[in-house]
Amino acid sequence: MMMNSKDNVATALENLEAGVVASVIFPSQEVIREVTTKQAIPFGHKIAMMVIKKGDKVIKYGEVIGTASQNIELGEYVHIHNVKSNRMQMPEVWYRKEE
Amino acid sequence: MKFKGYERLDGSVGVRNIILVMAVADCSEPVARMIADGIDGAVAITQHYGCISGEMVANTLIGVGENQNVGAVLLVEMGCEGMPAHALGKIIKKTGKPVDWISVQELGGTRNAVTRGKQIVTSMSKEVLGLERKEFDVSRLVVGVKCGGSDTSSGLAGNPAVGDFVDKLVDAGGAAIMSEPIEAVGAEEPLARRARNEEVRKKIYKMISDEEKRWSVPGAQMEFMCKGNVDGGLITIEEKSLGAIHKSGSRPIMDVLENTDRLLEKVPEGGGFFLQDGTHLEPMTMSFMAAAGAQIVIFVTGCGATFGHAIVPIIKVTGNPETYRRMSQDIDINAGTIMNGEESIDSVGQRVFNEVLEVASGKPTLGETFGYHNFSVFRRDPRLEVLLKISR
Repeated sequence: MMMNSKDNVATALENLEAGVVASVIFPSQEVIREVTTKQAIPFGHKIAMMVIKKGDKVIKYGEVIGTASQNIELGEYVHIHNVKSNRMQMPEVWYRKEE
Repeated sequence: MKFKGYERLDGSVGVRNIILVMAVADCSEPVARMIADGIDGAVAITQHYGCISGEMVANTLIGVGENQNVGAVLLVEMGCEGMPAHALGKIIKKTGKPVDWISVQELGGTRNAVTRGKQIVTSMSKEVLGLERKEFDVSRLVVGVKCGGSDTSSGLAGNPAVGDFVDKLVDAGGAAIMSEPIEAVGAEEPLARRARNEEVRKKIYKMISDEEKRWSVPGAQMEFMCKGNVDGGLITIEEKSLGAIHKSGSRPIMDVLENTDRLLEKVPEGGGFFLQDGTHLEPMTMSFMAAAGAQIVIFVTGCGATFGHAIVPIIKVTGNPETYRRMSQDIDINAGTIMNGEESIDSVGQRVFNEVLEVASGKPTLGETFGYHNFSVFRRDPRLEVLLKISR
């Protein structure tokens, strides 16, 4: 699901494996295009709808949700490994590093 | 649209009829619990900042005592607190409801205090529980909205459905309130565009930038999102915020209600949507919203949640179909139908509205059927406010 026509990411509504073709819809359920996954995308996580270069804005809901910290290809998994907040960074805490 | 509530002597309307046994500090909490135990309608609460808890805590305790859902209040003190029971009690009493207070030290200890407390609460119970519900217009409702344990479904389904409800409530003359300033960081623009006037617009920016200062002190390790958010697909505070504000609907923002050591501002009469300065931490926010006059809170969750609140019924909504399937014993409304493409946001918004009217008329929420009555309060450290140069 792509929330706004300005967005460069969409959200997986089910678990998607790598290399599958997924339909992309607006919240109105209108099908707008297809995208091929480059990696597995878990339910609720994001996929790039276009090439996003390092330093480019990542857009969801038509608003900026962060900046790409690496080059992101079309169909690639978009998560904390390749996007950073422009406002506040989450600290690393010991009990999470232990996992 | 109508609901059946309890009319208070000051003309306000409650949706529950609680007899509140309030220990003003946690040292007397066990006595308060023993007093409330076994008496119909009685609920014991306290706060955990001890006996020198500060004015923000006092404001919250007064506010929840004044809440329309509370029919009567017994305050319990040890006797040496910085915040004496009679000082709070005298303010709460101005609402006209039965209010009394006891001191454990003066009464000579646990057994005497419990015996005296039970006498008072039993007589309050007889006085208050006979009150019959009467029909009121929906414009008398103040509903809080809050989300937590958010995942991506919250921004796509749960929050938009609740936002749709908020618009419907405001259009019907009711009021709604949201209090989680950190979950507006990155969403200033869409909120500010809704400000009723320039003054409110400035207040919105100030509330959010103050909260950002408090949670991003260089060198201090502060987590402001939970692990469940990230596992659920939310990667930055901006993304979380932009999803979170969907539950506030789209109507004008009437005001930002002050919540400081000086004043905890109430939702004024006349309806509309309000922001409240406060916190994003769940049961604490609910205490703030209750203190500002909310009678019901809607809680949107992605990961799932099992709690209630001592003062306000909590209606739980999830936008995640898998969470609803797993936890339908705790979650009142399934908005996961939006994610599945089975139902429109408008249709789920209407279901939320119907549920609010039923709960306002006495239908217990699932949390209430378990007897949940969580209560906690939040305070800002006045030293930090000074050090961060946060002006009031």
